[in-house]
Amino acid sequence: MAESGRKYSFHVEPKALQVSDRPRKFLEAFAAVLRHGNYQLALDTYARLSTRCGRCASTCQLYATTQQDEDLPCHRSELLLRVYRRYFTRWGVMRARLFGGFTLTDEYLDQMAEASYRCTACRRCKAACPMGMDHGLVTRLARWLLAEIGLIPKALVVSVRQQLAGVGNTSGIPLPALKDTCQFLEEELQEMFGVPIPFPFDVQQAEYVFFPAVSDYLLEADTLMGNAAVMHASGASWTIGTGNYDGINYGLFYSDRMLEQIVQNVAAEVRRLRGRKVLVGECGHATRAAWYLNTFAGPDAPPVVNCLQYAHQMLTAGRLRLRDQRIEEPVAYHDPCNIARGGRITEEPREILKTICRNYVEMTPNRTENYCCGGGGGTVSIDEIRGFRTGSLGKCKADQIRASGAKIVVSPCANCKKQLREVCADNGLPDVQIVGLHDLLLKVIEVK
Amino acid sequence: MIDLQTWIDWAGGPLFRAALAFMLLGLARRAALNAWEIVRAWRRAGDKQLPWRAVLRATLRWLFPLGQVGNRALFSATTLLFHAAVILVPLFLAGHVALWQPWLGIAWPVMPSALATALTVAAVVAALGLVIQRAASRATRALSRLEDYALPIVVGLPFLTGLLVMHPGWNPFSYQWTMLAHVLSADLLLVLFPLTKLSHMVLLPATQLVSELAWHFPPDAGSRVAAALRKEGEPI
Ligand code: HEM
Repeated sequence: MAESGRKYSFHVEPKALQVSDRPRKFLEAFAAVLRHGNYQLALDTYARLSTRCGRCASTCQLYATTQQDEDLPCHRSELLLRVYRRYFTRWGVMRARLFGGFTLTDEYLDQMAEASYRCTACRRCKAACPMGMDHGLVTRLARWLLAEIGLIPKALVVSVRQQLAGVGNTSGIPLPALKDTCQFLEEELQEMFGVPIPFPFDVQQAEYVFFPAVSDYLLEADTLMGNAAVMHASGASWTIGTGNYDGINYGLFYSDRMLEQIVQNVAAEVRRLRGRKVLVGECGHATRAAWYLNTFAGPDAPPVVNCLQYAHQMLTAGRLRLRDQRIEEPVAYHDPCNIARGGRITEEPREILKTICRNYVEMTPNRTENYCCGGGGGTVSIDEIRGFRTGSLGKCKADQIRASGAKIVVSPCANCKKQLREVCADNGLPDVQIVGLHDLLLKVIEVK
Repeated sequence: MIDLQTWIDWAGGPLFRAALAFMLLGLARRAALNAWEIVRAWRRAGDKQLPWRAVLRATLRWLFPLGQVGNRALFSATTLLFHAAVILVPLFLAGHVALWQPWLGIAWPVMPSALATALTVAAVVAALGLVIQRAASRATRALSRLEDYALPIVVGLPFLTGLLVMHPGWNPFSYQWTMLAHVLSADLLLVLFPLTKLSHMVLLPATQLVSELAWHFPPDAGSRVAAALRKEGEPI
């Protein structure tokens, strides 16, 4: 029985403290995941080949700041691989029978849980591993297994509950409030451009069904107005579905079970509206989660377009006109890990920015080797760890921003935006503005 | 009085053949299982589109890690030297080719003996270098287990003893004991190939693909796991 005096730095719900018999349940979940999922091959390979060469050390921005052995990516993976070797390989089971040794305990699970939520799963270390180990993958899997025994940050599970069993979105925004917000944004746009620019709801057979991070409706008015202005100016047929208007998918951070359900809800809404494509707003993980439509929504899954790709395409096709105005302050681009690490979206935003800014500067390293904002993997939603996030995790990013001399950092991701604002506030960069790419587009776009 | 030569002949004959067979069959089995599991994972994946170019690029980068020296430069240089030596010497040393030839019926070019000596020295120095650097850097010290220190030493032994066999003038021990140690340590090394991380020799070409495939989930894995854990109706 887990004692209920336990405390986790990432803050769990009270019911998490009542789970009993956790090692057995953890192993049961592990067995089920190995049986039904696609992880065993990777774990088996990693368990065999892990050479503990220490290369990942120099790539990890957390380890760079804390210099604690527990923060080495390879060390974190080893926590799960050790369990795998002991309980799920023939040699490990035999050795334990003959010589005893390692047994999974409550304390060990707690240690694994703490380690799992110190990592943002940014996967920067992946490229440095000679054996091809993906520590982000292993960390995420550990998080899933831990979630099955109740060990999950309250912030994440409450959002998922809101989305799947509550109001229908992670911020708990009811439909009337959403419509009010959009109406307000329409009025703002009218004032700005002198023409009506709509946020269309439930248009049937639209080409694009829009899924931003729903928190944008609370926090990122300029980004959304930029989105609407781009769609309008380029003459797109697009819509917001009243049945599901949230692109956020925290399943990507901790559970294939949740990932699957949330992605299927996106597919269902597109089907209901007979829309053709999914348009994801400025959000890294929402985009990567939407790419899983191909996995979960069958062969006729709708194609996924990120709004950066869309804007870039329209700009190069000449379907977006710009006013003469340009952004004068030095602007840098922050690559959200979830769209940049795999090299999928890195150039489109840069080309747009180089067109609309007079003084574009680059932070190094960048693109597939970028530093994480420090709030990846869902950690940004855990307010209780702000000090850790902006300090241990965010320091590298803050140094990088400072070195670039940028006054505006464009970060087309709801999570990165929140985190980077806090990073700048806590690291003595109060005059750096963190904005979305569409916030800047909004200032230079020509709408007739 | 034991007849050392009998032992040497045994360790270099039947035992060597057994060890070699164990290594080759073991590695072949590993490679085959690996290939089979890759196909199985790919067939189970909901999304069968793989970023082949990126996977290939990452694979080649580590198979020929010449561009990778920047991160932990000395360590990288050491492993490169180490690998060059441990792969080339066993295959292209004149004495070894002479051993293979009657057996396989084919011969291939041998390396000049001065080069062989240099590479063998390199293997020993690099093996020691690996161990020392592992112990010297804080990160690797924290990560390493006994086998990580032991393996380079085990790999280095046949090279060290081989060097002494080839250069009796440098050898403080008796020729026969050294020869026996050489053959036995080589046998041991062969046996360890399929059992330890030395199997990277056959698994490494597929690791990038394996990592990528792990992100390609079966479409219903989540719901199947929920069913297996009897959590289908459970509130979140
Ligand atoms: C045939 C092709 C081979 C390839 C492509 C290969 C590749 C690699 C790579 C990429 C590493 C990681 C090195 C690093 O951290 O920089 C490694 C480590 C290692 N390899 Fe190989 N290898 C091969 C064959 C061998 C052979 C034949 C041996 C031994 C006889 C060997 C022994 C080792 C050892 C002991 C290490 C660990 C080094 C350490 O971290 O202490 N390898 N190998």
